[in-house]
Amino acid sequence: MSRARRLGAALVAAGLACNDGLAPIPAPTSCPPGFVGICGTVTFRGAIPESTDVVYVVAYDTFPQGPDDLFDFVPLLPPTLPLGGSATFYTLPVPEGRYEWVLAVWKKQGQLTISNADSLLREAGFFRDPADTTRAGVVAVSGIGTDEIDFVVDFDMMHPVSYWFPMPPQPR
Amino acid sequence: MRTRPSTAGALAAVLAAGPLAAQRTGVVYGTVRDTTGAPLAHAVVQASGTLLRTTADEAGRYRLAGIRDGPALLEVRLIGYRLERRTVQITTGDSVVADFALHPGPLYVGHEVVTAAKRSQLLDEAVTSVALVTRDDLRRRVVERIDEAVDKAPGVHYLNGQINLRGSTGYAQGLGARVLLLVDGVPMNQGDRGGINWDLVPVDWAERVEIVKGAGSALYGSGALGGVVNIITTDPPQRVHVRARATAGAFADPPHDVWAFRERMGGHGSLDVTASYRSDEFGGAATGGFRHSDGYREQSARDHWHVAAKGHYALAPATRLDLSGSWAVDEYEVPLLWCVRGTCEDGGQAYQPFKVDSSARGDRTWSGKGYVAAVLSRAATEQLSWTLRASWLRTRFTDFHRAGDDFSIANRLGVEGRVEARRTADGVVTVGAEATLADVSSDIFGTHTQGEYAVYAESERLLGRVRLTTGARIDFLAIDGSGLTAVVSPRVGAVIGAGAAVWRASAGRGFRAPSLGERFVTTVVPPFRVLPNPSLHAETAWSFELGHRRSLGVLGDLDAAAFWTEAVDYIEPAVNATTFEIQFRNLTRARLAGLDLAVTAAPFTPNLTTGLAYTLLYTREAPRDTAPARALPFRPRHLLRLSADWTPAPFTVGADLRIVSRFERVLLYESDPRVAERVLDLRFGWHWGSLDARLLVTNALNYIYNQVPRTLAPVRTLSLSAVWTY
Repeated sequence: MSRARRLGAALVAAGLACNDGLAPIPAPTSCPPGFVGICGTVTFRGAIPESTDVVYVVAYDTFPQGPDDLFDFVPLLPPTLPLGGSATFYTLPVPEGRYEWVLAVWKKQGQLTISNADSLLREAGFFRDPADTTRAGVVAVSGIGTDEIDFVVDFDMMHPVSYWFPMPPQPR
Repeated sequence: MRTRPSTAGALAAVLAAGPLAAQRTGVVYGTVRDTTGAPLAHAVVQASGTLLRTTADEAGRYRLAGIRDGPALLEVRLIGYRLERRTVQITTGDSVVADFALHPGPLYVGHEVVTAAKRSQLLDEAVTSVALVTRDDLRRRVVERIDEAVDKAPGVHYLNGQINLRGSTGYAQGLGARVLLLVDGVPMNQGDRGGINWDLVPVDWAERVEIVKGAGSALYGSGALGGVVNIITTDPPQRVHVRARATAGAFADPPHDVWAFRERMGGHGSLDVTASYRSDEFGGAATGGFRHSDGYREQSARDHWHVAAKGHYALAPATRLDLSGSWAVDEYEVPLLWCVRGTCEDGGQAYQPFKVDSSARGDRTWSGKGYVAAVLSRAATEQLSWTLRASWLRTRFTDFHRAGDDFSIANRLGVEGRVEARRTADGVVTVGAEATLADVSSDIFGTHTQGEYAVYAESERLLGRVRLTTGARIDFLAIDGSGLTAVVSPRVGAVIGAGAAVWRASAGRGFRAPSLGERFVTTVVPPFRVLPNPSLHAETAWSFELGHRRSLGVLGDLDAAAFWTEAVDYIEPAVNATTFEIQFRNLTRARLAGLDLAVTAAPFTPNLTTGLAYTLLYTREAPRDTAPARALPFRPRHLLRLSADWTPAPFTVGADLRIVSRFERVLLYESDPRVAERVLDLRFGWHWGSLDARLLVTNALNYIYNQVPRTLAPVRTLSLSAVWTY
């Protein structure tokens, strides 16, 4: 084989060896290996409002103390839940740590700003403390995926921001 | 009363000189061939010391009129061949034959460039790295836009249409390029966003593209912080010529059935027609064409129309007027982000790279852009020449979103005067003044103006074996008519040696004024609000380079460079996670350093040329707020290109392999899947008489990858192109 042909063959071989790009990833049904964060199953109840834009899953390391803390969630760009089924598995990539509130946030169609958050956002369901289901459950993430953080999203029982953080009385 | 010369007076004097025919001039004509007798189309023939030049046609024929009576030194250039010089005797009213046979030579040694010093010089005399994209590079890659071939040049990396020279720009959705685009020396960056429209000039016009790496602000001012790309257009050959090019092709389907997104295969096609005419005094070309693409992914169809015209008029042997202009319209769908689970019909997949997030379905953009430019040049004497130019670039777009439409209309007006004085054979001084006024009227950028006014000077002098360059430019910037802010950009450089081995070193300060878009943008990129930052100020950087160019004889060339850039107040988008806001801000400091290596060689047979280009890039931004020191986003550590072309006439076969390492850091969706870029392009060509047929398979292995998060890069694309030349 001439040197020119050898070079050509080497070039093609190098190219062929490179073909390991993106591949399909089935939607997970358990925490994927190597994943760091929170996983679980969300069960849907109630009728999905027609004005639904999207439903996010987010986590707060400290339970918000007021509207000013509302945007202190992780991750920066939260995953959305696929709607239409009776339940779905979710993965929430968050750093190692302790999270006091893991919840689903329903968003109405429209442009979200801090000032209109109360009318466009609803708490749609959250992970509850197994010992006291009236309270939010605390989730610990320690270097792997913390699985089975399951909760219910009830479209008939959603709460606006003002439900959790009532505005103080305004001076007359 | 004393009088003083004015521009109008100079113009009047030039016009009064009368056309070439009225002067004591003669004609030289002939052919340019290689040593086997094959015609060399597009060889440039120039009468030395004048602005008279022409281009050989497909049969290698040329004709150059208007040469002054007496001995005339003719120079014939073509990349890949040795420069030929010959003195011919010109007689008034007569013509003389001069045929040239060019000998193959080192690819770039002895080649002329015009960008690095804002005047003509040999490539080996440039104090900074210059990469060239030749007409042949453009032709054999069947490109429809010039950036598709510039992408293959050493040290260049494209990211969703945004050019990076040695990692200069990163990625900010087209805003704020740190590379200045020139068309025949005329700046063409957009007035509102500072970005680049690569399709302002038809591909068939380009004679070559010069890519100057490193800070070019000492001559070009703002925008040239990372480098300059200059598209040099060709003069039409003598008489009437027509060139028609038709291209058709198809996009590969997704390699996995679960990613299927349409019933039929997507296609693309284009038609371009260029007509040109040249007489002894006048030359011109006009081009029109359209392109359609179904796109390689969902919601990425695109239509494009363009018309362009250029002409030159030789007012006198030493005086030339160039006029050019174009207008292009694009209508395209916008596939901003791919679909992740729950945002489209995901088929049970975590993500669907060929589909878009359904919330953005229907988004599209209408975009129009065009320019007119006039350049008057005169070589008054062998020691003195000057150039005047004026240009107007206009861009407008409307984004159609479900949530509401956005629009912008922007203008960029520019004028420049430049004088080049050669004091002796060993020294030259370039002095100039330039003014640029940009304005925008937009619902997302507001209504604003930005003025840039500058003077500059650069001197080059041969001191023994050292060619020393020193110069500086001072720019005065004004926003909305406010007070002027001055920025000084000095540069010093040296070149040692000549011919086979050349060392070069340079140090220069560059700057970039933020574009009106970066400064005043107010928009929403769900779920973020993008906020204006009127206090954003110019970024500056010191760039250093040590380079070496060596001829490998008939084998080829080697060029290596080490570069180091220290930037202050670097402008990058900052994401505020707590308020869902993005804002362009000045970073305190940033560093970009690395090595550039480019080798071209014909190691086995003259019919086989190979190329290797490698860039090692290290970037760091200084700690800020709570963030530690870290890599700049969207910069690859390694960039490798291999290319080979085998040309057993009348056939050609070639390949390009591009490997770009996975970015260390991106903004947004950092945990999303991303892989390195590894793309193999194949090409085949056949030339028969006036017909040239090309087959191109880009991304031949259908490697599925992305570099920008949630944005699929092009899949395997087949293109068949036929070019007919009359």
